[in-house]
Amino acid sequence: MAMPTPTLRPLSCWKSLLRHARHQKVATRSLTTYHKSVTFSKYEIPTPGASIEVTRKIKTYPPPQSPAQKFKEPLKDFTKHQISILDPTGARTHLFSKTNPEAAKVGDILLVRLKTGDPFAGVCINIRRRGVDTGILLRNELTRVGVEMWYKIYSPNVEGIEVVQRREKRARRARLTYLRKPKHDMGSVQNIVLAYQRSRGAMRGSVQEKKGGKKGKGKKK
Amino acid sequence: MIQLKTMMNCIDNSGAAIVECVKVMKMKRHAKIGDRVIVVVQKQRNFSESGPGASVSTSAANKVRRGDIRHAVVVRTAKKLQRPDGSVVKFDDNACVLINKAGEPIGTRLNGVVGTELRKMKWSKILSLAPMHL
Repeated sequence: MAMPTPTLRPLSCWKSLLRHARHQKVATRSLTTYHKSVTFSKYEIPTPGASIEVTRKIKTYPPPQSPAQKFKEPLKDFTKHQISILDPTGARTHLFSKTNPEAAKVGDILLVRLKTGDPFAGVCINIRRRGVDTGILLRNELTRVGVEMWYKIYSPNVEGIEVVQRREKRARRARLTYLRKPKHDMGSVQNIVLAYQRSRGAMRGSVQEKKGGKKGKGKKK
Repeated sequence: MIQLKTMMNCIDNSGAAIVECVKVMKMKRHAKIGDRVIVVVQKQRNFSESGPGASVSTSAANKVRRGDIRHAVVVRTAKKLQRPDGSVVKFDDNACVLINKAGEPIGTRLNGVVGTELRKMKWSKILSLAPMHL
């Protein structure tokens, strides 16, 4: 006797499976109905897709001005500010400005009056233009020894800079370093400076004698 | 910038004309104005005013002789030296003044300008002898 077992007839399981599937399909179809939601609340709940109308306006502020726009050239502004502090009248800037035809140039004999110590005079052999750090190099001969001094023109230590004598012809070099060579050395300019000071003193003496006398005494000390 | 082997002018009347630096004292750098150095006298000064006939007197006037080892103070440098106020000073030569070990100058006169840094370094005796300081 042969038993009709599924092992013997492997395809027999298909029948029951397919039957089951058919039943399920019918069930799903019967359950699928068109559903319309009915709101029970008074207020309509907004659906996520719909746009929300805002009645209250939110206050907005404009962005702060960018420092990069406000201070376009900070170093330039800073230099200008410093010069305005150190040279309020602008006389020093004018004396060394390139646009001024009466400006001090290389080759001129300059006299630097200092707040502390003696004035120093010499031939200007270099003007280093660097904004507030602008400096001049003066060369002179003291007791037969060449001496060179750098002075910052905006230094608070510098009381005044005077042009003692101008060069007859414009120097065709920016830096007259050749004046250090024995062939070109101007030697001591002390005599020229003394003559200049005497003439200035005479001019000043005619106008205000008292002040000149006082100054002379101060220098002797 | 005074260091080993630097030749300097001696600007006092001790009798030395040219000296050579053999040691910078109290530091490992080069010497600047106002620093103390040890020097060897390389060339003696022969005073022109005494004339050729007074050679004996000149040698007697010379307090130092060639080959002597002495202390000295640098008073001028050809190297630029910046001051605290921003100004810079530079001389055309290197010069020094001979001193004894106590720090008093050997010579009695100086001829030539010296740097003002000597005041800061407390060499007031040299400053008072100098005809000019800058």
